Amino acid sequence: MNETAAATASAAEDGEPDRDAPDAAGTAPVVVGEGVRKSYGEVDALDGVDIRVEPGEVFGLIGPNGAGKTTLVRALTGTTEADGDLRVFGVPPREVDPQRIGLLPQSFDPPERLTASELVDYYGGLYDASRDTASVLRDVGMADDADAWYESLSGGQQRRTCVATAIVNDPDLLFLDEPTTGIDPAGRRSIHRLIERLAGDGTTVFLTSHAMDEVERLADRVALLRDGAVVAVGAPDELIAAHGGDPGLAVTLDDPAAEADVEAIRETLRAERSGGSTGEPAAAGEDVPAVESTSEGLRIRGVRPEEIGDAVDALEAAGVAFESLAWSEPSLEDVYLRLTGEEYSPRTGDLGELASEGGDR
Amino acid sequence: MSRVGRIATEASAAARSFLRRRTAVFFTFFFPVILVMIFGALVQTQPTGGGLFAEPAGYYIPGYLAVVVLFTPLSRVGSEIARHRDGGRFEKLATTPLSRAEWLLAHTLVNVAIIGAASLLILGLVLAVTDAEPVVSPALAALPVFVAVAVALFCGLGALLGALADSQDGVIAASNTVALPLLFLSETFVSPELLPEWFLPAVAASPLTYFARGTRAIIHEPGPWLGDLAVLSALAVAFLALGAYAVPRTE
Repeated sequence: MNETAAATASAAEDGEPDRDAPDAAGTAPVVVGEGVRKSYGEVDALDGVDIRVEPGEVFGLIGPNGAGKTTLVRALTGTTEADGDLRVFGVPPREVDPQRIGLLPQSFDPPERLTASELVDYYGGLYDASRDTASVLRDVGMADDADAWYESLSGGQQRRTCVATAIVNDPDLLFLDEPTTGIDPAGRRSIHRLIERLAGDGTTVFLTSHAMDEVERLADRVALLRDGAVVAVGAPDELIAAHGGDPGLAVTLDDPAAEADVEAIRETLRAERSGGSTGEPAAAGEDVPAVESTSEGLRIRGVRPEEIGDAVDALEAAGVAFESLAWSEPSLEDVYLRLTGEEYSPRTGDLGELASEGGDR
Repeated sequence: MSRVGRIATEASAAARSFLRRRTAVFFTFFFPVILVMIFGALVQTQPTGGGLFAEPAGYYIPGYLAVVVLFTPLSRVGSEIARHRDGGRFEKLATTPLSRAEWLLAHTLVNVAIIGAASLLILGLVLAVTDAEPVVSPALAALPVFVAVAVALFCGLGALLGALADSQDGVIAASNTVALPLLFLSETFVSPELLPEWFLPAVAASPLTYFARGTRAIIHEPGPWLGDLAVLSALAVAFLALGAYAVPRTE
């Protein structure tokens, strides 16, 4: 990190605001972006993004298609020009020592008539120092297919080979733009273990993905990008607590088209919770479960696990015939859906309007 | 890894990738074969006057060589750039120590090797199926230099076309549009006497003219060729520099 330290010292001497200043733990950020903008014609791909990635952390970047994730990765890797202040290891992206950077582009199709082993050899051969090819292929679960031509590999194997080309130079900062797209669960698991191991060894990982469970599991912090701007950033648990909403009970009806008396169900649940009887008005500030119609049936939000029995009673009392119940805690996916306006599609209520807005976008 | 090491790595991967595309290899070498067979053996020359080819058979050797020296680098480098751009390979390479100039140099070396082999094949065929009698002299050693320099020149031009065209189809169309006029109006198959005088400055402006003149002075009508090689070399440096600048990073 000598270059980072030098850049920090230089900024301080100039009397400028020290954007690369170490945090309380004494470590300088690996990536700092302030007011990052990038336009393609009249479309603003990035609209004033502020971002900061600390050394050794797995930083997740999520957002809908077209939100600007790949553009931000390109700006940070210096493969596209962007306005604003961007620093990687304390210097502009194009001045970073390439030995310290690894990149898996979102759309990447390497020479198809080379074997997996030859591809790793090839990309490794471009660096001053590189890891042993066999060990890299072992890390991504491709040791058994090392001698197969890239074009003869399955989609998942191809993607894992591409991941191998991104880590062959043993980078300090690894950009993975949707690394597990098209990979089966076993392959995904091996990539997850690899990312965890790399992060454990001190590699900073910048991960973009549409797999929310993956980001929730791997990322120390997550930024949610929408329309080219960061709308939320924080640890997954913090984001879920702040934006994930209440636990919910999904009710799949025997006949999803049947009209259920949602008010009656809600009223029964409220009465059970307050220990009162139905018909009494809810007290001010009283925490009342919300009942919404969805495309498959009902969703009862704010139900605690011990209240599931009450919910069943309420459904039966309202004459609702249901096929199954599924209780779930809020997840990063709920945060994503709420903050991007891509909420599931209920048939009634305010959320229905929200879904329509998201669908038109 | 040194600059030489990076270029060797890129060239090795490019060569292996090409040699494993059997169709590409076959037609790269079949193209000049078919050309020599049609024009050298089938049509033949009629030096006594009339006919499509009025000069002695040896006169057309530079033309046959020019076909591969011109067409192959233009289409191969142009297509390679389109393929790299479409597959996100430049985006990946931009984060490695390999520079754009090194990339183009590596692919130029691969093309020099491929076209060198194709040129040998052409010379052998010409000797076998025509009555051409190449001049054997120490100057013959400069013939591979002419081929290599001309290939480098057209690799640079191919890089420019590849960067400007937005697809592989576009590269092929642009290559043919540029190459066909160059091929026939550069003292290769059509002698300057057959062209109107007002057009001769255009002939002099074609880089391929200096390849044809120089190689003809070596292999058919002994004469000075160093000047032609100097012009060709200067143009090669210029086109390689422009081509390297044009090689995209990602957008």
